Amino acid sequence: MTQQIELSGVNKYYGAYHALRDIDLSIRKGAFVALVGPSGCGKSTLLRSLAGLESISSGDLIIAGEKMNGVPPRKRDLAMVFQSYALYPHMTVEQNLTYSLRIRGVKKAEAKKAADEVAATTGLSILLHRYPRELSGGQRQRVAMSRAIIRNPKAFLFDEPLSNLDAALRVHMRKEIRMLHDRLGATSVYVTHDQVEAMTMADHVVVMRSGLIEQQGAPLDLYDRPVNRFVAGFIGSPAMNFVPAKVGADGETLVVDLGGPQTIRMARPLQPGLNVIVGLRPEHLLPAEAGRALLHLPVASVENTGAATHVTTATTPELTLVLNGRIPLSPADSVPITFDAAHLHLFDAKTEMRLVPA
Amino acid sequence: MSETTRNRLMLAIALVLAAIYLFPLYWMYITTLKSGSAMFATPPSFWPSDPQWSTYAYVWESRNLARYMGNSLIIAVGAVTVITLLGTGCAYVLARYRNGWVDVGLFLILMLQVLPASLMITPIFVGFSQIGLLDYPRLAVIIAIAAKAMPFFVVLVRATFMSVPMELEEAALVDGNSRVGAFFHIVLPLARNGILVSAILIFMQAFGEFVYSKSIIQAVEYQPASVGLNSFMGPNTNEWNNIMAFATIYVTPILAVFVLLQRRIVSGLTSGALK
Repeated sequence: MTQQIELSGVNKYYGAYHALRDIDLSIRKGAFVALVGPSGCGKSTLLRSLAGLESISSGDLIIAGEKMNGVPPRKRDLAMVFQSYALYPHMTVEQNLTYSLRIRGVKKAEAKKAADEVAATTGLSILLHRYPRELSGGQRQRVAMSRAIIRNPKAFLFDEPLSNLDAALRVHMRKEIRMLHDRLGATSVYVTHDQVEAMTMADHVVVMRSGLIEQQGAPLDLYDRPVNRFVAGFIGSPAMNFVPAKVGADGETLVVDLGGPQTIRMARPLQPGLNVIVGLRPEHLLPAEAGRALLHLPVASVENTGAATHVTTATTPELTLVLNGRIPLSPADSVPITFDAAHLHLFDAKTEMRLVPA
Repeated sequence: MSETTRNRLMLAIALVLAAIYLFPLYWMYITTLKSGSAMFATPPSFWPSDPQWSTYAYVWESRNLARYMGNSLIIAVGAVTVITLLGTGCAYVLARYRNGWVDVGLFLILMLQVLPASLMITPIFVGFSQIGLLDYPRLAVIIAIAAKAMPFFVVLVRATFMSVPMELEEAALVDGNSRVGAFFHIVLPLARNGILVSAILIFMQAFGEFVYSKSIIQAVEYQPASVGLNSFMGPNTNEWNNIMAFATIYVTPILAVFVLLQRRIVSGLTSGALK
């Protein structure tokens, strides 16, 4: 597999501020890579460094086999879709689409033909002579996408392109972007703060925090084997529950502190007396039959969505449960809970790193 | 009091105030059409019974108004050109870069605007005379006006540039344009309205400029209309109709431009270039 984009040892400083720390990332041709993390984590800086809008302080940036460290954006042959779409307000849709071609000296007739073709695939044909201000949010989004597609670039860079759309349209565009990516056989780098977008769209998810790549890999690998507490809490919705606990004297049980101590068994033994953090995904906590409960949790509040029952417990720390179906519960009830010990995530209380090599 | 009555009352007050404010202008126009005796009649007449249109032709000829107006135009166009060319670049840089030095620069620029022309003229005169600029008096006035009006232009145009999102430029860069190309293709067209409006305001200011022209230009043949009008008025003047005709010919073109463009000027100043 050829690597389309390779970053090795990339650092970026703004004065004394260390925005990107030793970034190593390779993106193969045809991959859909999502950069995800909380705001200020450096994901946008990384994307802008790829585009050439920011310069990197050290390290190597290689695009399609060529070193691109100091190369200006116009010579990198990448297309970018901005969060605000950045459509040129004084140009019609057609002029917006053909702008990059016209700069390269493509003949007018050819550029127009290319615009017609792209517009036909993205459903913009009847809007070609409108100005951006006359379009709806979704239509503007399509123009921004089309403007990138028309260039047939080495890679597509997306900077939170869906965050200005309403929820329904966002879900729809998610699929559409992914389908477009597959049809074009393109290489895409997609920045988002929404982990659901990252999980559903990408082949390879890169989780970042404070300028550092915390973990990268296939979406389900990140979900199943988060390397530390941060990734565990960031990936998955609703977020994972974390409970402080101590390994029992036998090394095979955990004493969980949920306001009062409760003991559960682990799948694999650990060093006795170790302080740990237990991670439990809401969807892995199941209602137990009588007498088989591993935990008894007091209920604080119940939200019913019809398909599932979301329960918040009256423990410290409080836990979130997502129980399938409609379960008649009310505050002050106690709910018996069971789970598969293999679904426990254990993190060192001090380093917050994953303990059990799963 | 109902809504309509209150609105009508407000309108009436506005009309009365406007009438008071515009009365001198009206008086200027009406006086130009009066004969010598009608001018000093008591009570004064508010509508000329026998309009003297020939006054305009007489003043135009006798005072050599074509030359004065030409000089005013040269000075105004020169100043606007200098300011637009230099100020646009300056405003762009001040809009796009943010650091301590830019803040210092902006502060100094605003300070320049605070100083009155009558205060600045002495050092300017001495300086220009030292380097021999006074031999080219109209050029000297153009430079002096440019220096005086530049801050105003830079501050206005900077605001316009700041309303053009940075992302548009970045999109142009990624689309394959250079920094300079992005400025001329994307930023300048979007900031055009603001620049145009600021330039028109500067033009009107420069067309009526008096202090620098009066002090720097000694030779009558280089003086602009503002100075010409001033020298027309002496301590014992009684030809008010001719002076008013001079003033009318001088200000009417500016007034016309303003009335024609006022909608664009107001919208250009209050809103950004974009939606």
